[in-house]
Amino acid sequence: MKILNKDLGSYKLHLINTDKFKTITIKVLFHTPIKKEEITKRVLVTNLLLQSSKKYDSRRKLTIESEDLYSAEIGIGNQRLGNYITTSFNLQVLMDKYTEENNLEKSILFLNEIIFNPDVDNKSFKKEKVDFVKHDLMVKLNSIKETPSGYASIKLGEMFDSKSPFSYRIIGYIDDIDKIDEYNLYESYLEMINTDYVDIFVVGDFDNKEMLTLIKKYFKFKKIKKPKKSYILKNRNPRLKRYFSKEEIDNSQSILAIANPVYRLTKYERDYALPLGNLIFGGGADSKLFKDVREANSLCYTIRSWFNKIDNMIIIKAGIDKVNYTKAINIISKKLDEMKKGKFSEDDINNVKQELINGLESLDEDENAIINDVISSEILDLDDVKTRIETIKKVKKSDIVKAFRKVHMDTVFLLEGVLDEEN
Amino acid sequence: MKKINLKNIDMTLYTEVLSNGLEIYMLPYKNKKNYYVTFATRYGSDVLEFTDINRKSYRPPLGIAHFLEHKMFEEASGEDPFTFYAKSGTDCNAATSFDSTQYMFWGNKNFNKNLEYLLRFVTHPYFTDQNVKKEKGIIAEEIKMYRDYPDYKLELKLRENLYKNHPRRLDIAGTVSEINKITKDDLYTCYNSFYVPSNMFILMTGNFDPLIALEVIRNELDSNKKGKITKIKKITEPIKVNKEKDVIKGNIEIPKIAIGLKISTKDMGLDDLELSLYLNMLTTIMFGDSSLFKEKVREKKILNGLSVGWENLEDISTFYIQASSIKPDELIDEILNEFNNITVDESSFNRIKKVWISREIRNVDDIEEMADSLYYDILKYRKVIPNKIDIIKNMKFKVLKDIVKKINFKNYSIVKMNKE
Repeated sequence: MKILNKDLGSYKLHLINTDKFKTITIKVLFHTPIKKEEITKRVLVTNLLLQSSKKYDSRRKLTIESEDLYSAEIGIGNQRLGNYITTSFNLQVLMDKYTEENNLEKSILFLNEIIFNPDVDNKSFKKEKVDFVKHDLMVKLNSIKETPSGYASIKLGEMFDSKSPFSYRIIGYIDDIDKIDEYNLYESYLEMINTDYVDIFVVGDFDNKEMLTLIKKYFKFKKIKKPKKSYILKNRNPRLKRYFSKEEIDNSQSILAIANPVYRLTKYERDYALPLGNLIFGGGADSKLFKDVREANSLCYTIRSWFNKIDNMIIIKAGIDKVNYTKAINIISKKLDEMKKGKFSEDDINNVKQELINGLESLDEDENAIINDVISSEILDLDDVKTRIETIKKVKKSDIVKAFRKVHMDTVFLLEGVLDEEN
Repeated sequence: MKKINLKNIDMTLYTEVLSNGLEIYMLPYKNKKNYYVTFATRYGSDVLEFTDINRKSYRPPLGIAHFLEHKMFEEASGEDPFTFYAKSGTDCNAATSFDSTQYMFWGNKNFNKNLEYLLRFVTHPYFTDQNVKKEKGIIAEEIKMYRDYPDYKLELKLRENLYKNHPRRLDIAGTVSEINKITKDDLYTCYNSFYVPSNMFILMTGNFDPLIALEVIRNELDSNKKGKITKIKKITEPIKVNKEKDVIKGNIEIPKIAIGLKISTKDMGLDDLELSLYLNMLTTIMFGDSSLFKEKVREKKILNGLSVGWENLEDISTFYIQASSIKPDELIDEILNEFNNITVDESSFNRIKKVWISREIRNVDDIEEMADSLYYDILKYRKVIPNKIDIIKNMKFKVLKDIVKKINFKNYSIVKMNKE
């Protein structure tokens, strides 16, 4: 695998050459500092661009075109990355040798059509199309409790710090929908195209020169300055006392969600010591949380912890019965304390080192993993993969303990399932 | 070892059957570091009653196949599979479906030892009163987690109303009260009846050497006895749906609907694979992303989220539709209207063939996708399909039109879910 990063002035192009795939994957990534009041517009814009374009004026026509291009799959998604919001347009299509000559170029043209040639009349989107995506989003936002675990994460964020981007609902806000019309939505689209920072990634087996020409031909943006604001989120000061909060839901299971902010991590701790520590703590079926909360005490089916480097946060989530609430929190607190006291073995450390190293060694077998790694490498200024593997091998127990002492259990949220159904 | 050339995708699959009946399928890749291995038994929640080794008719509590899957992770040594696999940074898991239970591991290190370990832990059960008791709390939480998903609750109700006798009307995991009845003896009886080599297969894809893998398997399992074929009590299922209409309540804001169409496939004159392809083609043209139906109901704003799928059983197939809608009755009318006025066009037919062929080629890049697809074929057709792309290419529009004529589109069940 060879990566060529090229600054084309108005955007950065990342050509990732590998013969491991029969497809070519292209990702056009827009990023800009996140503003709460703009999120719903962004969600609607991206949904709208998938409904129709100037040339293909209905969702059906768009779909037929993608099917005709040998199932050229287009996906659009929004994500929060620390202090930023990212919007990505993805194309994945078989190489021409499995389809027909020029199918790739036609597919790139199709992606270009979706991004740059929206279904617009007189400087506005079409009202009926906007009404449709507004309705669609309204239904979706009204159904967020159908995924209890996702809803618990949203609530946890808001309980932790409602002012921080950490709490922003990346799926949008119901209250904002009514304020949006075909005119201000079009302005929002133009703002994204004209002022967002852009990165383009291409993964697959291609000739760099030919690909460069193709990308330059179909992707042109206005020149903008490089991002200044850091991606990494700075959390508010720790609370003196743990904050507990509950909300009832007509479910039989309760979801326990805990926010554990991390303060003053060094780069080494962020990149190496804490990711390893978190895997020992709650990373999977061999972790402390799984072994104790699930296996030894039968309190749950799912339990896990995640360390988000950009958010400076460890999140813990478990699906429990409400009667076991206190017991579960006590065990989790105890396990966290044990991490801080170094109550884990050299075997534990070696296992998770191996897990992280295996992941890095197999990075080039998954297109999305490759692209995400290039993105994180830029945002977090990561070492190259080889250096990372060598550094992981050298991490000591004391490094993990030191990093874990910077983790504070801060906010506990319980989505309390109040149904008493036997079955 | 038999070599099978997978046409159109330039891959060679190796198969072997041990003298005890264990089937082995191996698809090595040259350009991958990762591997994916699964060891499966053709035993899932579809088995309700069977003749046990003492020739007695035996009906264990519901959800036992899934319970057994959980309990296979107990080891006499105290070191469970998760701990063993963690040492080489390897992942492992297991899954129970209606018709199979599988144990898998995937990673990029220590292949031979990991394989050897898989074969050992799946062939050495260790159940105690205490470890069975411990699992009940865990599985109860798993059952509750799924029941809290409104879509899952709706699907369960639809299954109940579609099938009168068939176990597909029941939850794979059983119910909390049923699993509470399970004992270690129940587990051993089911284990001894279905975890026998002649009822099992091993499938692997990715980075490994088939000769070495086969040797590891022979060393571990060649001496295992074939095992008796357990007689499963056959269930007769009428064609008629069990209940035509139902309304349930759910923890939702936007109403949901589910429709199931139950058809007889006895006289279609096609083999199982062809039948499944043509039925899928029909409903992809009718309800797929590029269908006229979808465009119409979306424009009317009466459709939000749509999932469809077929379930093919012996002589019976059922088609499922689930969706959310602010106007559920209008949406139901539109769907029934499609059932009553089937139109299929040849250009859609050809375009969807093209999409399917592209996906078959694309699937090869992902060893897990590839394993999933082979797994399904081995389970369903008891063989791999080496020329699937050719079979898709050879599909004829006329055959599709003939099938449409043979389907009774009136035999359906409808479930509505309203806000509590």
